[in-house]
Amino acid sequence: MMSINPFIPYQATLKEVINLTPDIKLLNLELTVPELQNNFDYKPGQFAFLSAYGVGEAPFGFVSLAYRKSGIEFAVRRIGTVTAALHELEPGATIGLRGPFGNYFPLEDYKGKNIFIIGGGIGMAPLRPVINFILDHRAEYGNLLIINGARTPKDLVFANEFDTWAKAPRTQLELTVDKGDQNWKGREALVPAVVTELKPSPVNTIAITCGPPIMIRFTLAALKGLGFANNQIVTTLEQKMKCGMGKCARCNVGDKYVCKDGPVFTFEQISKFLEQY
Amino acid sequence: MTKVITKEDLLSWLRQLAEKYAIIAPVTSNGVTLYKSVGSSEIDKINLNFSKTELSPKNWFFPPSETLFTIVKDELPRIIPASVDREAILFGLRPCDAKGIALIDKAFLAEPADVFYQEKRDKTTLIGLACLSPCLECFCTSVGGGPADLTHLDILLTETAEGYITQATTEKGKQLLTGAPRQEKEIIPPVLPSLNLILAEGITELMPRVFNDAYWDRVADRCIHCNICAYVCPCCYCFDIRDYVSKGKIERVRSWESCQSPGFTRLAGGYDPRPTKGAHFRQRWYHKLLYFPPIFGDIKCTGCGRCVRSCPVNIDIREIITDVQRMKV
Repeated sequence: MMSINPFIPYQATLKEVINLTPDIKLLNLELTVPELQNNFDYKPGQFAFLSAYGVGEAPFGFVSLAYRKSGIEFAVRRIGTVTAALHELEPGATIGLRGPFGNYFPLEDYKGKNIFIIGGGIGMAPLRPVINFILDHRAEYGNLLIINGARTPKDLVFANEFDTWAKAPRTQLELTVDKGDQNWKGREALVPAVVTELKPSPVNTIAITCGPPIMIRFTLAALKGLGFANNQIVTTLEQKMKCGMGKCARCNVGDKYVCKDGPVFTFEQISKFLEQY
Repeated sequence: MTKVITKEDLLSWLRQLAEKYAIIAPVTSNGVTLYKSVGSSEIDKINLNFSKTELSPKNWFFPPSETLFTIVKDELPRIIPASVDREAILFGLRPCDAKGIALIDKAFLAEPADVFYQEKRDKTTLIGLACLSPCLECFCTSVGGGPADLTHLDILLTETAEGYITQATTEKGKQLLTGAPRQEKEIIPPVLPSLNLILAEGITELMPRVFNDAYWDRVADRCIHCNICAYVCPCCYCFDIRDYVSKGKIERVRSWESCQSPGFTRLAGGYDPRPTKGAHFRQRWYHKLLYFPPIFGDIKCTGCGRCVRSCPVNIDIREIITDVQRMKV
């Protein structure tokens, strides 16, 4: 699937831009080469580099599901030079896409298990295809509990999908914000506190979390408090990356490269790193 | 009987090879020896008695800065990938530097191969020169190499009073040597020099237990982030990729980078998983001595001593290895 020279991006056309939050846009892309449009495969957890030509490229997790064939989607938070340039683009623009890279959430192995999704802010991005994959294969998984947290109500991503998620069978969606506004009637609590409050049973459950490092640290502690073992807790690490192929050594952590050995790791693997993550 | 080539024949053979191949060889100018491209009329400029080049030969395969591709702004970006045109001979490699290339090979040729590196690598034949008078700071024999180690070369030449002993180790080398004017002679091979020994054996096993020692912060304090250690290293290969725009043309450029750079792991938005100077410093030694070996089967050091010679604040890998051995936990 990767091009012959994996440093050279495929060209993609920006089909649609949706504002998810004040600083996060959903970019929907279509590869320009027709033969690739129906054959471009990737899995939840994998990522690609997007090029804003002339500014640079940066890695982003896929937020769409390849088999749905409704475009290749990324949720891009405006945070640096490349993301700022991507935010400036309008439908019809050409974006470079290199990938897919990295490993993925082993969703086949999780069949029959309860899934506990814990996302914070833009950390929900790589978890969205996990949720949608489970909903597309609902009978094959146990209960699905989702905690989606953000700083304020307007920072909650994928709000247009909340109804679909909440109404799905054996699925519970819990939203929380650090600080509400006058219209907010939901929780005002930090994500780790919600984990502790909801007390999901660790029995036959996999917890998948992604969010800011501080949230992950306290979420990990909360999960351990509930009896989750390190091999039942999965996350996707964010690291500076330049190549995506284990060459540039920017994302090297111990004897692992986040780009090719990850980005998906269990906390059992992470706990073996000498460096603290 | 041993096959040898006289110095005169060696130079005329190189002159002849230069018609077909790009020849990259050590050339000294203004007291600085570097690997340079030499044409057939410049073969006499090759320095056959150099001790060590200032920069390693990795530059040939992995230049300090190279354009990966150019985009000319039409209606759609048109990508014109860079490519190499002809076969090359990298001549006069010391065995330590050949090992440096072999170590980069492990990372860059692993699937998916780095196409830019691979193309140059495939088109290049490595001719080495045994090291008969090693530099003060060398320690190749402590890290698995040797002054006449031919493992990573296509051809090794060893100088004697009668000429250069020629040894081909690969098919590529054997093929090339068939065209060399050699004579069979009764030769007593030169005595190889003995090198300074440091206690590098078992260093990989010792590294994990001193990870949290204050030692790394303490030694790092004098580092000035100049990155020279990584730039002169024959097997350091961290890189950066950036876009440059000029005259309507966009170039995507890959450049050398070093794990010692302050922004090496800093993400957009400012979060840095490896935020301290000590942690950056430690990464260099842990990557070389602990992380690389289980993946690629060898410590990532050739014992060439260039980092020792070049560091402006005298950070010395030999001392670091020795200190780790001595540290009590």
